[in-house]
Amino acid sequence: MRLRLKSAQAAILAGLLLGADAQGQALPGQALAFDRSKGNCLTCHDIKGGDAPGNLGPQLADMKARFPDRKELTAIVFDETKRNPQTVMPPFGRNLILTDGEIEAIVDFLYTR
Amino acid sequence: MKIFRAIASVVVTIAALAIAGARPATAADSIDPDADFKAFRDYFTKRFPNVPLNDFVNGPYSMDAELRKQWEAIDDFPPYDFAIDRGKQMFATPFKNGKTYGDCFPDNGVGIRQNYPYFDLQSGEVITLELALNRCRETNGEEPYSYVKDEMASLTAYMAFTSRGKPFDIKIPNDPRALAAYQKGEEYFYTRRGQLNFSCASCHVQNPGNHIRTEVLAPALGIVAAMPIYRSEWNGMGTMSRRLVTCNRQVRGVPLKPQDELYRDVEYYLSYMSNGLPVSGPGARP
Amino acid sequence: MRTYLFAAVMCLLTGAAQAASTEADFKTALAAAVAAEQEAGALKNQWIPTEQALAAAKKAAAAGDFNAAVAQAKEAEALAKASIAQAKEQQTAWKAGVIR
Repeated sequence: MRLRLKSAQAAILAGLLLGADAQGQALPGQALAFDRSKGNCLTCHDIKGGDAPGNLGPQLADMKARFPDRKELTAIVFDETKRNPQTVMPPFGRNLILTDGEIEAIVDFLYTR
Repeated sequence: MKIFRAIASVVVTIAALAIAGARPATAADSIDPDADFKAFRDYFTKRFPNVPLNDFVNGPYSMDAELRKQWEAIDDFPPYDFAIDRGKQMFATPFKNGKTYGDCFPDNGVGIRQNYPYFDLQSGEVITLELALNRCRETNGEEPYSYVKDEMASLTAYMAFTSRGKPFDIKIPNDPRALAAYQKGEEYFYTRRGQLNFSCASCHVQNPGNHIRTEVLAPALGIVAAMPIYRSEWNGMGTMSRRLVTCNRQVRGVPLKPQDELYRDVEYYLSYMSNGLPVSGPGARP
Repeated sequence: MRTYLFAAVMCLLTGAAQAASTEADFKTALAAAVAAEQEAGALKNQWIPTEQALAAAKKAAAAGDFNAAVAQAKEAEALAKASIAQAKEQQTAWKAGVIR
């Protein structure tokens, strides 16, 4: 089957690959991830696109390869203490730091890293 | 009759242990500050074999060479000097009734900071230096100072300065109330709190030397030794009380009142863990 | 098209049913939230977002917006309950992290 892309579709695809939505804006999940009052992920994690990250947690890169199961990554953001009782990662879902929708958006963003 | 003898033998055993000076065991686990102390010390010295023991009192500077260079650069003009001078002057100024701070403390309050906190057997509570200073004021008809503001920081800065280099010498008397206070302090230190679910240990035991954003985390060993601190981030001095309150807020926990029993207990615990390490206060931090 | 119209009408109807929070609803929701926050206080484990939600609830009620007020009060109650759960779990869980 031959795949032919119109120029607009090509632009959207390129945007998605670069971590942007169809309009070329940064994904809402990135704003949530970097916002100190929301995910605040850079405090502990090195993530491409962010500055002056902390190093309490691992670098968040290669996420599609490392977390082929989206449920697993979502669970980590929701409550990592389930997997590692001694973790210092806040339980963003269990402690109502982020809504389910916000977690979804952040997971979407992480899969572009 | 058998029960009587059994009870009697238990009583005799307990009495014998008490006479021998053993610490009384609690119903659940027994509290053993000496064992805790050794384990605590070993954990940090093993994790950081290149840090000289006494250097732990320098917090993040003992962990990060780059940060240390910046710190040493300002050491000629330490930012807390004004606080020491002010504290010295406050110490020399009598209260309205003619008494001075020195009258409330052993050795006129000079060179005693390393003995605080202590457990007061009469009142059955932990007495920190900050608490003792305000009680001194109130006993002499003066209004107490805020625990989180500059007057208290100046007083404790001066007192710390007169003890610089002296090893911490915190005592836990062989009294169940003192042991309970010690254990409550240990519990506070390791308990997760706040919406962000951190315990003090999350940063200061699990992650010393690591950094949150650009801030290097201090090790729990010796962490009270430099108090009060001039903190660049605060553009001013911070007392022990201020630090505990802000730590609570940082993890989105509503802070307790300054000098709350639990705050005094955790200061007691951390100070005991620092026994033998030199008073380094007042200190400077980023 | 008909399916969409039906769904839209249903949304409007259920939305309308939820829209009418009264002052009485707010008082009930606030009382529950305050009680939970007091319990968290007794455990010395209140959270800042709980206090913020309570304040927002009262502010919305004072402005007559009882929908928002009830929503904030329910959020406050959920946060307070989460802080209570944390404190209770930690009463034993704290020991696992102690250096031995």
